[in-house]
Amino acid sequence: MDLAFLGETLLRLASAIPTTLELAFVSVSIGLALALLLALLRASSVIGAACVRAYVFVFRGSPLLVQIFLIYYGLGQFDAVRESFLWPFLRRPWWCAILALALNTAAYGSEIIRGGLAAVPAGSIEAGRVAGMSRFTLYRRIVLPLALRQALPAYGSEIIIMVKSTSLASIITITELTGTARQIVSDSFRAIEVFVCAGLIYLAINFVLTRAVLLLERTLTPHARGVPR
Amino acid sequence: MTDVVTLRDLHKSFGPLKVLDGISLTARAGETIAIIGASGSGKSTMLRCIPLLEVPERGDITIGDETIRMNTARGGRAPADSAQVNRLRGQLGFVFQSFNLWAHMTVLENVIEAPVHVHKRPRNEVVDEAMALLEKVGLAEKCEAYPAHLSGGQQQRAAIARALAMRPKALLFDEPTSALDPELVGEVLGVIKGLAEEGRTMLIVTHEMGFAAEVASRAIFLHAGRIEEEGSPRQIFAEPTSDRTRQFIRRYLERA
Amino acid sequence: MQAYFSLIGFGPQGWGAQLAWATLMTLSVSVAAFATGTVFGVAGAWAKLSGGPVLRGLADAYTTVLRGIPDLLVIYLFYFGGSALLTRLGTLMGHDGFLGLNGFVVGMLAIGVVSGAYQTEVMRAAYLAIPRGEIEAARAVGMGRALMLRRIVAPRGLRIALPGLGNVWQQVLKESALISVTGMVELLRQIHIAAGSTRLPFDFYATGAALFLLLTTITSLLFRGAERRTQRHERAR
Repeated sequence: MDLAFLGETLLRLASAIPTTLELAFVSVSIGLALALLLALLRASSVIGAACVRAYVFVFRGSPLLVQIFLIYYGLGQFDAVRESFLWPFLRRPWWCAILALALNTAAYGSEIIRGGLAAVPAGSIEAGRVAGMSRFTLYRRIVLPLALRQALPAYGSEIIIMVKSTSLASIITITELTGTARQIVSDSFRAIEVFVCAGLIYLAINFVLTRAVLLLERTLTPHARGVPR
Repeated sequence: MTDVVTLRDLHKSFGPLKVLDGISLTARAGETIAIIGASGSGKSTMLRCIPLLEVPERGDITIGDETIRMNTARGGRAPADSAQVNRLRGQLGFVFQSFNLWAHMTVLENVIEAPVHVHKRPRNEVVDEAMALLEKVGLAEKCEAYPAHLSGGQQQRAAIARALAMRPKALLFDEPTSALDPELVGEVLGVIKGLAEEGRTMLIVTHEMGFAAEVASRAIFLHAGRIEEEGSPRQIFAEPTSDRTRQFIRRYLERA
Repeated sequence: MQAYFSLIGFGPQGWGAQLAWATLMTLSVSVAAFATGTVFGVAGAWAKLSGGPVLRGLADAYTTVLRGIPDLLVIYLFYFGGSALLTRLGTLMGHDGFLGLNGFVVGMLAIGVVSGAYQTEVMRAAYLAIPRGEIEAARAVGMGRALMLRRIVAPRGLRIALPGLGNVWQQVLKESALISVTGMVELLRQIHIAAGSTRLPFDFYATGAALFLLLTTITSLLFRGAERRTQRHERAR
């Protein structure tokens, strides 16, 4: 085994970790805000619910890679887009990847939050109403805290999926972890070692993230922990 | 004596089912009213109409001297002013059959939630008062516990403290012991009895006839959405004038 | 609008025939990958449920790793790694030069092992969801292990697993688009080619998304139908 090569590969791959994490972090943050909006819109009115359902259907029913290509290659077909103020962003692979990833995770996230909202006990809401809470207070103090806690485990899995999905950004020329691995392979022709190293790094990232979500769950839901009476 | 809660001619149906068929009732300050009747007689629905958890199709609800304003729109009847409803709800304390404590808050947080976030009272003052209330229901040492870690009886006592923290003009109990294991019923009834002795205004929907006879100053028997008979507990339980009331009491005694 | 339909239609200017063929390729590679995954899934679930500590450990490592790394990386590993191995093997046999792996085979294997990891979990959970009483009842009437597996556990477990397997299938169908990186002409690759040669990328990628939506919708209806058929006994009379 060529330890020098492995060490050098790991170092080069490690330098790409921030790019991968940044892609994941930015798109998950935007996606979460969007998901929350979509979930609330879905609960608000019949028309809102129909729009959100259509959105979720499209983004969950088609491959993420197609969505990335549609945004990266597709939008440039229109003069209106190329002449708009958005073009400086939309011509950049980075922002196209962020946009596609965020729109995609928002669809899944809104369904997760919807599940969380549906799991809020009706009695907890009634107790808030009889206490004289306004709709806003009720959502802020009771409904959303309970729903988000309920949704946390599923949302943790979604974050892991998103970290993995950032690898698709390499296909539109972004040199994050997978893209860097491909570059090293094309220089060295040593595919197996390099991709296995990259895989180990993804595993490590996801291991840490899983632990972090678990920790967050524990601190946020002391009420769910079994305590001997 | 002042009128605290007044219901005038309430009507309510669920689909084709008529649940309230013209209920009128006044609770005066210091009264403890026991509301009894078979399941399906409308007693819970009547109680839930007071804070407008159910919206009656006809009739008025008055808390203190303020009547809840209603609108009749195309979709049915709805409160005209949700701010008014919330304000009046803030003057009542409601205790549910299934406790309905907020699972993500400790017992103390449950108790201070509405005074701090609805009444906007200063937190320090509310905490002191809440601790005194928890002391009163015998839960002071459990104030940092979460609802999931309490027995049903403890949860219901916490819920009573939460209702008391509203400084309510009236306390409404919706079958407060029906969800409890038999051995836990006593501790909750004890707390409610103590409140009756303090002279609080209370409306209690209950299946515990012995308890109703003991603590109530007035008893009301509901049948098919109407008040079939009302009077002192002694009169209702010992010498009912209506056949339906007599039947109901007899069946209850046979089962016990 | 008419221009669009002649573009994706079956006329002389249209890409209809290529798109239809590519859709068929996407479907077949997905079915092949899902079936491969089922083999891995059955083996994995069996190892987790009744294997010894070594087998259980291996199965746990398998599901943890394959669900923790990007599918694209698995495809690269199989494609470039497999080709590297094959070339080395070829040199040993006296063949000079690069030997590449077929994209279909790579896709089937790579997406197959990934979906196998998910199918392992679905099947394990389904087995554990079979009420213990029903297995005891089978034992009580004297069924042997094999008979019980065939008559009670497999049919009962499959019914419970169907919704989960349906989700894995949707995932496989969508992930199959990644095989386009090997150059295999499935739906996305064909769309990519058409978009480049017509300079109408939006039209074609939108068409691609619509075709994938069509595939996921139709197949999810099929799964739903299967669920309903097998779960007739669950419904209240």
